[in-house]
Amino acid sequence: MRYQEVKKTEMGKLKKGSRCTICKAKGGKEKAVVFLPHHRLALCRDHYIQWFEKRVEKTIKEFRMFSKKDRILVAVSGGKDSLTLWNVLTKLGYEADGFYIDLGIDQYSEDSKNLSLRFSERIGRPLHIISLKDEIAPIPVIDKSTNKPACSACGTAKRYYMNRYAKQLGYNIIATGHNLDDEVAVLFGNTLHWDIKYLKKQYPVLREEGGFIRKVKPLCKITEKESAMYAFFNDIEYIEYECPFSEGASSIEYKEILSKIEEKHPGTKLQFYTNFLKNMYPIIKEHYEKESQINICKICGEPSFSDICGMCRLKKAVEKSGVHN
Amino acid sequence: MEIKVKYRGKEQVLRFDKEKVTASDILKALGLSSEHAFVAKNGEIASEDEIISPEDSIKVVNAISGG
Repeated sequence: MRYQEVKKTEMGKLKKGSRCTICKAKGGKEKAVVFLPHHRLALCRDHYIQWFEKRVEKTIKEFRMFSKKDRILVAVSGGKDSLTLWNVLTKLGYEADGFYIDLGIDQYSEDSKNLSLRFSERIGRPLHIISLKDEIAPIPVIDKSTNKPACSACGTAKRYYMNRYAKQLGYNIIATGHNLDDEVAVLFGNTLHWDIKYLKKQYPVLREEGGFIRKVKPLCKITEKESAMYAFFNDIEYIEYECPFSEGASSIEYKEILSKIEEKHPGTKLQFYTNFLKNMYPIIKEHYEKESQINICKICGEPSFSDICGMCRLKKAVEKSGVHN
Repeated sequence: MEIKVKYRGKEQVLRFDKEKVTASDILKALGLSSEHAFVAKNGEIASEDEIISPEDSIKVVNAISGG
């Protein structure tokens, strides 16, 4: 069914008193509360939720991410995206449980863990919790004992433990809440640097191979604001303040620049991303695929692109520094 | 006019030199763009031209985050 598009004169902003495009097409008069300029849709609360869930399901199918037979582990941080993703997957009937890594960042970790736990109880799905303090050291200690930026060490730890525990716990899919703005900001940064090593991994599905399990990003076509509005309409309580270590992150700067372009030219972000996937990614992948070989880490036995994996190198650096938990 | 807003889990008071304040003015006062932020008035998302009064319960959500 095609709905009458919102008139060009209505583009840009949602005006008070606008009606829901879908309700209007069905003869209804429900007030629109959300305006999606790049889709030219004005929607009421219920049709927005419906639109959102359908869009996620379509993305899952488009990229053949997983099916109802798969066991999915959602990387839960307590933020809007991961909780929204978990909610949508559960509502769509997928078998999705949560995995939370306590990073040991004082109040921030405490608050986000409690919000994740509360959400897990609300949807009636288990949340597996591990603590970096038990595995290696909390992020503030890692930050002090290595010269790696905290966000980079945090990323290494999250990827490593997600993969390791997903296998141990019998899951075959890892789903993360990366949204369109995250993907576009990273793509923008990687393109500015022409960083092929990262560009060739920037696909919403990373297939399982050599000890890595399949990783998917079902929210890759959902903007950050769309995700926040979905959380708002579903009364999902999430951590609203930023991680203290992420202040001044270049990804936020890129997001702000891209938002300014998007404001003037709605649809730019989505096009930049989807056309990369369609036109550029296949070329990069074909050309550079054979360059990296997966090995087994000599220390822990987990998959790695070098002899010793990033996590074991990090552990060594923390031990050597003598900084204690 | 003074408007109390809840933003990033904290309450703060915004002061305006005019009597007619809109949701868009609130975003501007906090330095936010409607591209990644929105205002909820009395539990409902407000359109940008919606008038806000001091009695309204206002929450501002900024969707942008690092990571």
